[in-house]
Amino acid sequence: MVSPVESNSVPSGRVMIRPMAQDRGSIPARVTMPASGGDGGATPQVRYPIIDAIRRGEAVESRTHESVKLEDHVLQIRQFCLWYGAAQALHSIDMPVARGRVTALIGPSGCGKSTLLRSVNRLNDLIDGVHVKGEMILNGRPVYAHDVDVIDLRKRMGMVFQKPNPFPMSIYENVVYPLRIDGENRRSVLDAACERSLKAAAIWDEVKDRLSQSALGLSGGQQQRLCIARAIVADPEVLLLDEPCSALDPVATLRIEDLIHEISERYTVLIVTHNMQQAARVSDYTAFMYLGRLVEYGSTADIFQRPTLEETEDYVSGRFG
Amino acid sequence: MSVSRPSSTDRSEPSPAPVVISTRRTPLSARGEPAVWLLGLALCLCVTLVVALMSVIVREGLRTFWPRPIELVTLVGGEKLLGVPMQDESFDAADGEADAIESRRGASGLTEGAFGDDGRPTRRLYRVGNRDVGQEPFRWVTLANVVSIERPAAAVMLERQEWGVWIGVPRSIYRQEHIKVPASAGELQAAGVIDTESGSRGVERTLLGTESDGTRVVRQRTGLMGAPKDGVSFPSREAWALLDSLHEEATDRAARIKAIEKDDIGAINHDMESWRLRVRKAEMERDRAAADAGGTLGGALALPAWIGGLTVVLALAGLVVVLSRRTDHRTSLMRMVRPALLVVAGLVAAWCVLESPWSHRRVTDADVEIVKAQADAALGELQASYDKALGRIDELRTLDEQFRVEVVDARGRFAPVRQTAPDEPLMLSQIVRVVRPNDLNFAGKLGVYFSRWAEFLGGDPRDTNTAGGVFPVLFGTVSLTLLLSLLVVPMGVVAALYLREYAKQGLVTSVVRIAVNNLAGVPSIVYGVFGLGFFCYTMGQYIDQGPAAPALRFDWWLTLGGGALATIVAVCVAIMAKPMPGTPVRGVHRVMAFVAGACWLLAAGLGAAAVFRTPYFHGFFAERAPNPVFGTRGLLWASITLALMTLPVVIVATEEAIASVPRSMREGSYGCGASKWQTIRRIVLPGAMPGIMTGMILAMARGAGEVAPLMLVGAVKLAPDLPISASAPFVHLERSFMHLGFHIYDLGFQSPDSEAARPLVWTTTLLLIAVVATLNVAAIWLRGSLRSRMKTGVF
Ligand SMILES: Nc1ncnc2c1ncn2[C@@H]1O[C@H](COP(=O)(O)OP(=O)(O)OP(=O)(O)O)[C@@H](O)[C@H]1O
Ligand SMILES: [Mg+2]
Repeated sequence: MVSPVESNSVPSGRVMIRPMAQDRGSIPARVTMPASGGDGGATPQVRYPIIDAIRRGEAVESRTHESVKLEDHVLQIRQFCLWYGAAQALHSIDMPVARGRVTALIGPSGCGKSTLLRSVNRLNDLIDGVHVKGEMILNGRPVYAHDVDVIDLRKRMGMVFQKPNPFPMSIYENVVYPLRIDGENRRSVLDAACERSLKAAAIWDEVKDRLSQSALGLSGGQQQRLCIARAIVADPEVLLLDEPCSALDPVATLRIEDLIHEISERYTVLIVTHNMQQAARVSDYTAFMYLGRLVEYGSTADIFQRPTLEETEDYVSGRFG
Repeated sequence: MSVSRPSSTDRSEPSPAPVVISTRRTPLSARGEPAVWLLGLALCLCVTLVVALMSVIVREGLRTFWPRPIELVTLVGGEKLLGVPMQDESFDAADGEADAIESRRGASGLTEGAFGDDGRPTRRLYRVGNRDVGQEPFRWVTLANVVSIERPAAAVMLERQEWGVWIGVPRSIYRQEHIKVPASAGELQAAGVIDTESGSRGVERTLLGTESDGTRVVRQRTGLMGAPKDGVSFPSREAWALLDSLHEEATDRAARIKAIEKDDIGAINHDMESWRLRVRKAEMERDRAAADAGGTLGGALALPAWIGGLTVVLALAGLVVVLSRRTDHRTSLMRMVRPALLVVAGLVAAWCVLESPWSHRRVTDADVEIVKAQADAALGELQASYDKALGRIDELRTLDEQFRVEVVDARGRFAPVRQTAPDEPLMLSQIVRVVRPNDLNFAGKLGVYFSRWAEFLGGDPRDTNTAGGVFPVLFGTVSLTLLLSLLVVPMGVVAALYLREYAKQGLVTSVVRIAVNNLAGVPSIVYGVFGLGFFCYTMGQYIDQGPAAPALRFDWWLTLGGGALATIVAVCVAIMAKPMPGTPVRGVHRVMAFVAGACWLLAAGLGAAAVFRTPYFHGFFAERAPNPVFGTRGLLWASITLALMTLPVVIVATEEAIASVPRSMREGSYGCGASKWQTIRRIVLPGAMPGIMTGMILAMARGAGEVAPLMLVGAVKLAPDLPISASAPFVHLERSFMHLGFHIYDLGFQSPDSEAARPLVWTTTLLLIAVVATLNVAAIWLRGSLRSRMKTGVF
């Protein structure tokens, strides 16, 4: 058993927001781990039976805490598998997503977080050779039924990508893009929606005098907030955020985290992040994935303070992964 | 770890000695300096070549119109000549000549530069003009044989409507009339008709002949400046002024004649022709109506069948509306039924329209008679106004013929009015411009220079294209290039969009891509041959005359039905060929996609057959047969041919541009709920616009400079009319046109006096380059403004 380390004692939930630098410093360095270094895979074999089973390609039961199951679910993911051509990227994921809550997806790079997120609004359909199995049910209707209007589905979900991707148009046109493609051309409606979502994305004060200028002239953080404004302008039910802060400085990150707090009162948010502290700060529920499988899923407080698996505990404290 | 390079072990050990930064130990080749020099050298070479070419073109092109002096050269034998010196060169005299030239070395009064620095004799090329009196227009003069060179102030160079320039000295201007006098000798005396030899100063009368009734025809010449046979009064201020003012009047008259010929008579001819065509058309319609009375169904059955067809259409349309209302039934079966119903409904509707009992009113003999009567009345009126216009022209011409000018060359010959009438001097109206370079100051020369430029840019060509302006040529080139880019960009963009965005990337797309790239390497003359054969003759003739071999109606409807069936099958199979979302593509899907493609091909083929063999279309200009309208070379076909030729450039550039729109942008757009088409229209196309413009610029540059295919599909030596006009339909894309590239070829190698036209070749080349550069700069500017609109900011 590992002795409790400082990061384990971080109070989870949204109340605790600490400066990043301190958090970083508090994560123990790898060298302090007893069995790491030269002898490679031997130690995990002993210490992480589930991870090891996953590496061997065996099916494992994911630990889903009871607290999750009690919630009202906007999205039900059942036995969901996804293949990129012949390579399987997701292995029967079972994961209900709570309505009106922030759910964080964590896990090492390449474990399929983005893939899972992009399957929710069927963005993976655009990639050649992708096929899926299993069910994904949004508000009682299957997402992967052949008669689903994909366009309409995507309209009901806002998505923000890892890298800010404003369109090469004016700031105004960027924000109202989802409305425009919906055929909305009344200036008053667009103006109102633009202002509302820019305010919600906490960028209104910075851009209100330059709405007609190119969005590409904004800074990276501003661009990301603009993308968030664009994602929420059409009042989506679910907001999908794929590492929204990975390209941002700590201050911009904090602003976006504040923003997630605010908008999560209205929307269901699914966020992918590599930053444990961020997950701890912004989310209500956290799912830990590994190599395309869901390992443990529960309330953020439980995952960060009382995880049932040692793997999860070590991953969130930065000793593994 | 144990086996490693010595350097790394060195580095890993702590080195006690302080690190000294070595100087210049890296070998030259590693630093790449020789490569830099070579690259620089190569670039210099390229730049030098381009600059040299450009400066030669600019220099030669700009100096063509500068008036050069006229020299009066006296040769050793006493022979004199008037000419414009063009260039000097050293030469080796032929054996027979060499001694004579050698003997002149050191003679007194020898022209400067008669022998070059190397001792070889020099000769000078003179432009002596005066082609119509049988003189070579250019002549080499050995300078050693020259006694004297003068620049007489009175010497002029006449630029004439025909026969090139005349170089000489004006002697007199007079008015020449033909008068008739009664026969009797006394009256003849009273009218002052006397012999040529003893003319009194000012008026000269010559008896030309006697008519059958005894009237005498007398030519009377009244001197206006310098009596017909008297001394020269040029060069004097008054003389030049009189010449200029008379010349101006004559030019005015010529312009009036031209205007009447072109506008009045042109319009009258046009109206007459259109009346004749109307009669012809009515007759043709009558004949056709007689030939195919009845249609597909017999007369009695026609109405009920037609009403039945109409009912079917309405029923099908109603069914489609009802089906599309019930959106909850959007199953794949429903998606297949709807297009099928629509296609069938469209087919029956087409039948109803084409075979309706009222669709073609039968033209009868009575109708034709009415048209004929109308035409006769109109033609009579038109003929009257035609005669009136001719009368006006005759009047002006008679006046024109009165004003004559005698300009004599060094051998005393004057410029004749025609080659066949050597004793009649030139009419003033035959002169375009009188240049007297020896008597002009700098400002005067500048005036001549600019007036020549103005004529060049704004005037029509004359004298078999070797002189005059190039305005129609310029117009043809610019409109061809603009039309070509208007055509090629949509075609290229559509093709590239489909290839890159919609088509499944695979063997077929690769083959298409390779084929497109290979098309860029096909010699342009091949496109010309294809354009002539396919566009001009096949398509053009179809537009003019309708299908050459129309199908029987029954067969035609069969074809159309087959095409519709193929379309339905293609759509349905294509819908089924799409795998369910999230399921892998299986062999079945591939086969179905292939079948759908084959069905599309079949449908397209049957559709094309239906269009090209339709019995319902008889050509837009059938009444003009056998004269072609679209069925021959013309601006439209030329631009389509060039568009086809430059298509690969645009496709490749657009594909690159589309591919370079980042994936993240597209995903962002899809993530916002945009459909594929919305993403393409709002994100991909605007983002690819600069690249598309680049393609257009390349296509334009290639198309504007192309000559070979144009010679086959549209460019002509002399186009009578511009492709636009003031009368409907204003734009005449079927007309042939002139093109700068072809004009250069024509000037330099096809004209009767190509030596004289050579300076114009330079100027025309300069103009062509300027046109291409202007169009390119405009396009580049457009692209720049597009780019700056979406310029990337700091990240
Ligand atoms: N377009 C694709 N084609 C084929 N394989 C893919 C594709 N996209 C992702 N993958 C594979 O699927 C797996 C999951 O990728 P995914 O992008 O979901 O990881 P991730 O958890 O988001 O990683 P990161 O944290 O680095 O973003 C990876 O092994 C990846 O290589
Ligand atoms: Mg990712």
